[in-house]
Amino acid sequence: MTARTKTLRYIFILLLILMLMIIACASFGAARISLKDTGLILGSFIPGLNHFIDTSRLDPQNIVIISQIRLPRIFLSIFVGMALASAGVIFQGLFRNPMAAPYVIGVSAGAALGATIGLVFVSGIGLMGISTTTLFALTGALVTTFLVYSIARIRGKISVTTLLLSGIALSAMLSSVTYFIMIFRTQDMAKIMFWIMGSLTSASWNRFIILAPLVTVLVIISGFFMRDLNIISLGDKRAAQLGVQTEKVKKIMLIMASFIAAAAVSVSGIIGFVGLITPHILRLIVGPDHRILYPTSAIAGGIVLLMSDTLARTVLMPREIPVGIITSIIGVPFFLYLLVRSKKQVF
Amino acid sequence: MDKESIISVKNLNFSYNHSQVLHNLGFNIDRGDFISILGPNGAGKSTLVNLISKVLENYEGRIEIGGKSIKKLSSRDTAKLVAVVPQYTDPGFDFTVSEMIMMGRHPYISRFGMEKEEDYDAVNRAMKRTETLSFAGRKYSELSGGEKQRVIIAQALAQDSTVLLLDEPTSHLDINYQIEFMNLFLSLNKKESKTIIGIFHDINLAIQNSQKIMLLKEGRISSFGNPENVISRESIKNIFGSDVYVGKNPVTGKLYVSPIFGPDIFGDASGKELNKYLKVHVIGGGGAASPVINLLSSRGYRVSCGVINMLDTDVDTAQMLRVPYVTEAPFSPISRQSQERNLKFIRSSDVVILPGVEFGNGNFSNLVSVENAVRLGKKVIIIDEKNIGKRDHTGGKAGKLYGKIIESGAVVVRSVNQIIRHLQS
Repeated sequence: MTARTKTLRYIFILLLILMLMIIACASFGAARISLKDTGLILGSFIPGLNHFIDTSRLDPQNIVIISQIRLPRIFLSIFVGMALASAGVIFQGLFRNPMAAPYVIGVSAGAALGATIGLVFVSGIGLMGISTTTLFALTGALVTTFLVYSIARIRGKISVTTLLLSGIALSAMLSSVTYFIMIFRTQDMAKIMFWIMGSLTSASWNRFIILAPLVTVLVIISGFFMRDLNIISLGDKRAAQLGVQTEKVKKIMLIMASFIAAAAVSVSGIIGFVGLITPHILRLIVGPDHRILYPTSAIAGGIVLLMSDTLARTVLMPREIPVGIITSIIGVPFFLYLLVRSKKQVF
Repeated sequence: MDKESIISVKNLNFSYNHSQVLHNLGFNIDRGDFISILGPNGAGKSTLVNLISKVLENYEGRIEIGGKSIKKLSSRDTAKLVAVVPQYTDPGFDFTVSEMIMMGRHPYISRFGMEKEEDYDAVNRAMKRTETLSFAGRKYSELSGGEKQRVIIAQALAQDSTVLLLDEPTSHLDINYQIEFMNLFLSLNKKESKTIIGIFHDINLAIQNSQKIMLLKEGRISSFGNPENVISRESIKNIFGSDVYVGKNPVTGKLYVSPIFGPDIFGDASGKELNKYLKVHVIGGGGAASPVINLLSSRGYRVSCGVINMLDTDVDTAQMLRVPYVTEAPFSPISRQSQERNLKFIRSSDVVILPGVEFGNGNFSNLVSVENAVRLGKKVIIIDEKNIGKRDHTGGKAGKLYGKIIESGAVVVRSVNQIIRHLQS
């Protein structure tokens, strides 16, 4: 079986699961809408299929709930999950390190500080429907990435170890600044904490329209570098001997993954473990070839975050739990179970 | 027929961290050659390999492969011309053997494309050549060291390159693998006319199998040419700082290098300097002089030997240690001329040593020469390990003269090792 047919088969299966998950998750929520009605409502949005569906029998309020409240959130969570898992695959591949997550080089701490500044000091300079917080978070993430990247660049080459270390160091410093602000602005503490823990509560079609094309384009472009990423895992020198432009590929991949992670973090806050665990799980199923691992992890990341977010909004209905808490509480034991079961090295 | 040059290096200088690693290298390598680069650690061997394979850039000078400057070649095109075989390492992820070997096809597959039929064919050929087909589906991480090395060689072969650069691919493996892989490289060189440039730790492995040897020292080419012209006791001493014998393998007729071991080799430099002013002549025959020549030349004395018959072990020893000697035709009695030449050596020597040589009528004149030496007032040392009665095949004539020499004041010792003491006094 060639890599192409293997990839296509896995992708098909995962897309099927994703589709079923969308229908199921759209029907869960405070307002009771049956699976059948949900299916009909979703079907009525699909061009070509809508002629065969009679929407007149359905409660118009339910149509609004699904189309304006649940669907944007579902799609946003899918794209955030996709972004986090894709960035996770790239960072783990680049660093040849199982602990690499989308946030390793300080994207999350930078975004958190940016968001905090936005929440506390600035208000109402939204742009094209993007909130201040999102804009500031995005700026914080990108500035941090740029700083870490500049520190790790030695004579035109990027040292992976320096990159990881400077990322950790800078993250620690930025987090301290965030906590410092929180202490002096106790009235904003809950808001900041909720943002940091990660949530998709403020999902809207507006946000989705901004995030989705950006993430899609970046994820697809990065996808063309997966064979290079396979070979880079043999070491930079060996990759160069095999004809890979190691430094160039590393730079492109770092920038791409950082942008993808920054885009996700700025709309959703810090959602942990999706980007770390999804690639690990998929590696156990599809193997280490990044050309298969990357697209499958992207879709699986969407599924994982969709499921987690649905739990986050339904478990303690009508109260919401930050989705970051769900991903950690469920993701970590599952990951540990896989670690123990596979017995051999995961990475 | 003139050979076509495949790699040409001119005025190559390379610095790393402000210290110059390679100094003005220049050489040509012909298509189809098997070249070895020898030199101690830090001589710049790996740097040279990294420059030719375009892993390192920012050099001064010119490196051409197939007539094109590699500055103008893309990474992919370079990888199509030059494949490197390094020592195996473990990748970050658990790829299968066939996935690993397919990575060798990277230069041929476009960023937006997939593997084609020809890529699978190339991988298949590489697997057959390296006998890795039988474990193509297994995980690379589960293989033994030798199997992993085969996979790495297959990966390089899948590149279908003109040149194969061997970066010490076997020095960490057992001898059976070293032989197996060297035979594979030789066959690739002969049957598929791949140009092979290898760095080897094992000097003999390199000499036996290479058409040319390049000796590198401190980033400079010390010599480059046929093994016979390049490898000598002096050149090895100069490059590696080690004392060796250089001899000819009687079976293959090729040179071989064997290190000199002994408790006195280490830290004896000052004594050696003094010893070189003392000239010692050793009477040879039947291999009796060999241990004496070996001991004295390793201590730095200026040794000569005679008269010995061609095909005698002592001749080999003298050649190997570059000691001047007087020879006679094989199995022939010593001629008048040879004896005269021997006496000339004796006259210019300070000490004459007579080891336990067997005497017959053919070489009786050697004993006469020793008697001459005593009369000339030379210091004569006799190594009397075996009773002369048992070594005398002249019917008593030799034994009588032997006794006379001792009576005239020659020093008698019981073993080879005792002569040093007498030389120093």
